[in-house]
Amino acid sequence: MSAWLRYFSFLRRDPRADAADEVRFHLEMRVRDLVARGMTPDDARRAADAEFGNTERVVDEVVRIRTRIDRRADRSEWMRDLARDIHVGMRSLRKSLAFSVTAVVTAGLGIGATAAIVSAGYSILVRPLPFREPDRLVAIYSENPERGWNRVNISWPDYQSWREGSRSFEDIAIWSWGSFTLAGQDSVAQRVNGAAVSSHLFRVLGVAPQLGRHFAADEDGAQRARVALLSDGIWRGRFGADSGVIGRSILLDGRDYTVVGVMPRGFNFPDRGELWVPFQTDPSSESRGNRQYAGAIGRLNPGVTPEQGAADLRRVDAALAIEFPDNNRYWRSEVIGLRENLVGDLQQPLRVFLWSVALVLLLVCANVANLMLARAAVRSRELALRSVLGASRTRLGRQLITESMLVAGLGGVVGIAVAWWGVRLLRFAFPNQVPPYFISLGLDETAVMILVAITLLTGVLFGVLPAVRMSRVDLNTSIRDGDRAGAGARSTRLRSALVMSEVALSVVLMIGALLLMRSYRNLQGTDLGFQEQGVLSARVTLPQVTYNTRPRSFEFYNRLTEELRRTPGVTAVGHAQGIPFSGWNVMARAPEIEGMPVLSRNDQVDTHNQLVTPDFFRAMGVELVRGRWFTAQDRDTVAPVVLVNERMVEEGFGGNDPIGRRIKVNGWPMATVVGVVRDYRHYELPRPMGPATYFPWLAWPTRGQTLVIRTTLDDPASLLPQLQAAVRAIDPQVPVSDVQTFGEVVSRSLWRQRLQGNVLAIFALMSLVLACVGLYGVISYAVAQRTRELGVRMALGASRRTVMFMVFGQSGRVVLAGIALGLLAAFFAVRIMAALLYGVEARDLTTFFMVPVILAITALVATIAPALRATRVDPMTALRSD
Amino acid sequence: MPRPIDLLQGTLDLLILKTLTWGPAHGYAIARWIEQLTGEVLRVGEGSLYPALHRLEEREWVAASWELSDTKRRTRVYRLTPKGRGQLRAESGSWKQFVAAVGKVLDATEQPT
Repeated sequence: MSAWLRYFSFLRRDPRADAADEVRFHLEMRVRDLVARGMTPDDARRAADAEFGNTERVVDEVVRIRTRIDRRADRSEWMRDLARDIHVGMRSLRKSLAFSVTAVVTAGLGIGATAAIVSAGYSILVRPLPFREPDRLVAIYSENPERGWNRVNISWPDYQSWREGSRSFEDIAIWSWGSFTLAGQDSVAQRVNGAAVSSHLFRVLGVAPQLGRHFAADEDGAQRARVALLSDGIWRGRFGADSGVIGRSILLDGRDYTVVGVMPRGFNFPDRGELWVPFQTDPSSESRGNRQYAGAIGRLNPGVTPEQGAADLRRVDAALAIEFPDNNRYWRSEVIGLRENLVGDLQQPLRVFLWSVALVLLLVCANVANLMLARAAVRSRELALRSVLGASRTRLGRQLITESMLVAGLGGVVGIAVAWWGVRLLRFAFPNQVPPYFISLGLDETAVMILVAITLLTGVLFGVLPAVRMSRVDLNTSIRDGDRAGAGARSTRLRSALVMSEVALSVVLMIGALLLMRSYRNLQGTDLGFQEQGVLSARVTLPQVTYNTRPRSFEFYNRLTEELRRTPGVTAVGHAQGIPFSGWNVMARAPEIEGMPVLSRNDQVDTHNQLVTPDFFRAMGVELVRGRWFTAQDRDTVAPVVLVNERMVEEGFGGNDPIGRRIKVNGWPMATVVGVVRDYRHYELPRPMGPATYFPWLAWPTRGQTLVIRTTLDDPASLLPQLQAAVRAIDPQVPVSDVQTFGEVVSRSLWRQRLQGNVLAIFALMSLVLACVGLYGVISYAVAQRTRELGVRMALGASRRTVMFMVFGQSGRVVLAGIALGLLAAFFAVRIMAALLYGVEARDLTTFFMVPVILAITALVATIAPALRATRVDPMTALRSD
Repeated sequence: MPRPIDLLQGTLDLLILKTLTWGPAHGYAIARWIEQLTGEVLRVGEGSLYPALHRLEEREWVAASWELSDTKRRTRVYRLTPKGRGQLRAESGSWKQFVAAVGKVLDATEQPT
């Protein structure tokens, strides 16, 4: 009896009436005794009543106790029922092991995949950023709507004007990327990333040091103090978590800095930063046109929206545009919510992942429901029997739901493993295998809670349908005919509908996956314009203190290049300020080009500008279109030579031959073009290459360069020991960092596209397998159902071919209906991924054609076995059976 | 006849459990037995007897069922459970210790040094 029935039975036996009855009996007995001792009945009754006292109070007290007892009994009965259901459920799952394992694994895959994606989505899109009141924080950039540029770095004077002129900000702080050579007296030099931050930046973020103090207000600016804040990682790794590190001095870029504090664990501003120094200004930062500082972060006043903040800054911008037309006429501020700024580029792929995984989960539910229905059909006789033997319908329904929940629960356990693995995979997808600090991916409590919720949802989704169906089973026919007649046909129809939706879901997922995979292929197949095989690159940074003159840098790199060139297997060694996809995207304006009209400031060509050595392009594998390369003699800094790329010829020289013409690039002397270099992809794909100018490094040696070494060795990375030895031989204080082959550089730059393609491909594959398993199950079952019918047909002379076609026809109807439905759904669904595609239309005809073909073929294969089985039906056996 | 002494809660539980060692009984019988055994020195107030019985049932020291009495009247009959028997053993031990201890104090003739 279920708990609530029992509850009703208690209502029938009123505890108050019982208690009153018990008391009445006591009084009656007392009266009888007193009468026996010679009292008159009336006296006896009065005496008994007097003795007993207030019966009402006693009854009340007893009722209170009884209610407590009953409630506890209900609870324990419910638990007992549940335990029994679970026990029976487990036994019945064990009995049909093949079914159980399939269902549990399927459910587990769906639950795990969903939990992984949903918890990733939660930590990226929902979980509050690790700052105080993060909703009030915004990132501030410059933008030039005229030229369509946004998220451009800001200039120091603009920042000051915003900070002083705005009214809706509690405060605004500026910062700039930085990387430092951290060296100790006795330890190895190490390159660490970090930032130069205005003294109040961390206060604006609302993050306090775990040890020591923030920077003081007078420690930044022109007279910046040599003080530094360490990350928890550096503090533990390099200083053994010694709290005595405060006040100690460390060597940064060859200069002494005093450690004033350690930031809390997990804080790695701007994304993987490890060390921070105060922001420094110099004469060059006083120019409003010098937009080179990474950005500003503002904290809005309470109650102020980012839009209001943006409007407030626009007001300041308008005044600046009038006051400083040269630098600010086309420029204004751009305000972006901090979360949007940090994870904005992940939002779109995540949305696609979330939708896709929802489809996968639906498919999984359809599949398990299908399995359940098949099993329920087989068990209909057993269930009907139990029902006849007195099990109520609710009881049977509850049993079935318990079984679904058990499958879901066990699936949840499998799902934990799947989710753990999925989250790891997602972590690995990030460059350097470490997500930035504001994204915490992992199976934490939130993830587990999400997983439990999904498990429950799944159990209900795939359990309700079979349970409802079963409680409608017609007992008489079931017992008479077992799983054969009417109920079976109805069940097949329902299951066909389920499989049809599975096919439809699969079509949508496969189209999505194929589109993303083709986009990735297209990106991967892009002609990069350089040869990425056989190249090793490494960043070398000379300490400012010891290499404070250009001849010293020149000397160092020349010795290093000579040394490396002598290494066996090396064919070319060059270096430049930045290699492709490294983020070294320095732009300069070219205001004057010989033979071309002078353009207004906002229409002048912007050029990517670099210092390169004569062998840089040879090492990269970039072709020379015309003219000549740099030579060792090109060291004139007064009338220098310059190389330009094809885009520069197009945009700057109007397509005319530039050789021998002169070009002025801001910040550089007028230079004569000696050669044209082929365009190669320097910016992260898919951004196309723009105009570029290359000046000879030999004329202006700098301290930080990225080496590019071309080798005939199969594995360029095997040159690393020789490279390190060569650097150490010249100067052991010089750090080598960012060592990677060009293959890695290219592949890393496409991590997001690869991740998108891979995730969707996994989902699509899962969906295809699930849909085909579902199809196989339904068709096999239908064949088994129709054994007798097929037997009759064959006895009446139907050929094997006819029978086979009948089976294929049944399967084909389901698949075609599913495909049609899926194509229709996909037609609308692909819109959400349009922005992720490259080189392929969202409604790409080939994809929309290929997917149905793949699905149809797979479905055909899944139908072969049941079809063959149908042709082997022996008419006599079929007729005799049952 | 001396004035009857009202029973303390814990003591009543103990006496109920003890009476039930002779066999199942309804509330009225339990009350009469206790009075008879104590020579009517201890009086069981019915006001506390019935709540006490139900509380004992709640603790699963006694079990109850509706049965017919000798007068063919529906009545609630209580019997001792194994758990109740164990409780009685434990409680009567400590009761005796308590009585002995109090007795020693009351019988003492000299002031303790």
